[in-house]
Amino acid sequence: MPELAIQTHALTRVFDQVRALDNLTLEVPAGSVFGFLGPNGAGKTTTIRLLLGLIEPTSGSATVLGFDTRMQGAEIRARSGALLEHSGLYERMSAEDNLRFFGRIAQMPKQRVEERIRELLAHLGLWDRRKEAVVKWSRGMKQKLAIARPLLHSPALVFLDEPTAGLDPVAAASLREDLAALASRQGSTIFLTTHNMAEAEKLCHRVGVVREGKLLAVGSPSELRSRGGARRAEIQGRGFSESMLAMLKHQASVSEASLENGRLMLTLKDGGDVAPLVSLIVREGGEVQQVRSGEGSLEDVFLKLMEEES
Amino acid sequence: MSSDIGTVLWKEWKEIVLERSAGGAGSYRPLILVGVLGIFVPFRMGPERFFHPLQILVYSFFSAVVVTAVIADSFAGERERHTLETLLATRLSDRAILFGKIAASIAYGWVISMLCVLAGVITVNAVHWEGHVLLYQDAASWLVLLFGPPLAAGFVATSGVLVSLRAATIRQAQQTLMVGFLVLFMGLFFGLSQLPPNWTAWFGGIAASWSAPTLVLAAVGVMLAVDLALLTAGMARFQRAKLVLD
Repeated sequence: MPELAIQTHALTRVFDQVRALDNLTLEVPAGSVFGFLGPNGAGKTTTIRLLLGLIEPTSGSATVLGFDTRMQGAEIRARSGALLEHSGLYERMSAEDNLRFFGRIAQMPKQRVEERIRELLAHLGLWDRRKEAVVKWSRGMKQKLAIARPLLHSPALVFLDEPTAGLDPVAAASLREDLAALASRQGSTIFLTTHNMAEAEKLCHRVGVVREGKLLAVGSPSELRSRGGARRAEIQGRGFSESMLAMLKHQASVSEASLENGRLMLTLKDGGDVAPLVSLIVREGGEVQQVRSGEGSLEDVFLKLMEEES
Repeated sequence: MSSDIGTVLWKEWKEIVLERSAGGAGSYRPLILVGVLGIFVPFRMGPERFFHPLQILVYSFFSAVVVTAVIADSFAGERERHTLETLLATRLSDRAILFGKIAASIAYGWVISMLCVLAGVITVNAVHWEGHVLLYQDAASWLVLLFGPPLAAGFVATSGVLVSLRAATIRQAQQTLMVGFLVLFMGLFFGLSQLPPNWTAWFGGIAASWSAPTLVLAAVGVMLAVDLALLTAGMARFQRAKLVLD
């Protein structure tokens, strides 16, 4: 298998007058989990369709698993699995028949299909209900099955388009854990689109942020967090007043300050240090019990990038 | 490619059977059809009319009617239920998907019409038992029985898939197909009645001079050519990118 599972060069797709994807140049190493982050309409689904060879680019090129997306779409689809915008399940059919169908498509030996069905459904807690028509299942169960489907034939590359979208937080967290476990066990490259930052931080080795078809940033979650620059501090204690807050806002190292549930929440500028601020609060009569500081979250970076571009 | 066609056919057949056994009014339609055409009608008409070659054409026609509902669902149904893109994102070739869906529809129409004929033969023999099994007597009848239902089903399946490929919903596909067939049959009816007298005489001469099996085989040849032309049009109309973006 090539070192790079996905490589695109100035990949562009225009629909009528809209540039759904604009000069995307990207490299995804084999065996990694890559998160493609962006708001709705950013071009995430279009990117997956282009990489699967389902639609042709207007300009630019892409190779996936060493195959050209324009000319060798069938080769790419044979070696990958995809969960697209919709779950794509045949709801009148049972869970095992859904998986059997895709196992047959992948030309897996019968016995291997049955083994993998058992392995995946048992892991996802769906084994006991495998013979039921999927239409009777909850949304969370359907989504788990939809994720099992592209993993069935252990492909070299798996595309997951917003796998936890529309799920409640508990179901989404459970699905993320399952996905992380399955991905690490299987060793496939995973290309995941999401607008859920926690999901990206938990699952992805590298992330790319896209907006209106343009790639704004790419790197590991920690690289992006540090690139974002913003450090945050949360100060817990007593005696915090509005005047103290106003004074903190005027400090050169503070970009934002707020009082939330009796806690001081500070966003620091590049190179800003929290220690002198704590001294200042104490001098002004505040009682500091606990200070937590750290880098801003991926969500902060994402929002900053969105603001910069708008 | 044949195993891929078999895979699609397997899935389509499962869906057809499951839909028709899932409860609701539609579940009993095939049973009602077999009950009426396979038991009630033969019971009333007797052996002479039942074993007439023209009667088999009626069963061929019903085979086509049954296929209309199934083929309308083929692509429009997948689009409506949001499963089409997932299917297109697999390694299956365009032809395997198209041929598998058409084959499943033809097979369904064929099976229903054969069940009707079988039930009819049993009913007629049971009601009019003459000491031996009554069956079709002439070669033309057997030829119509052999080729009529699959070719009629094939005509509807290949023309229906052209509509279903572009229809947004199953209902839209069914309505377009119904209107299309109505226009076609009315056009044929009025067209044939308006033929110039010398053409009518020429056709009449051929019909009189050719044997019944030869006439049937000629009709089979024409139907096969039409079905293949429609299949070719379906292959040209199947564009993965357009189906994904529709």
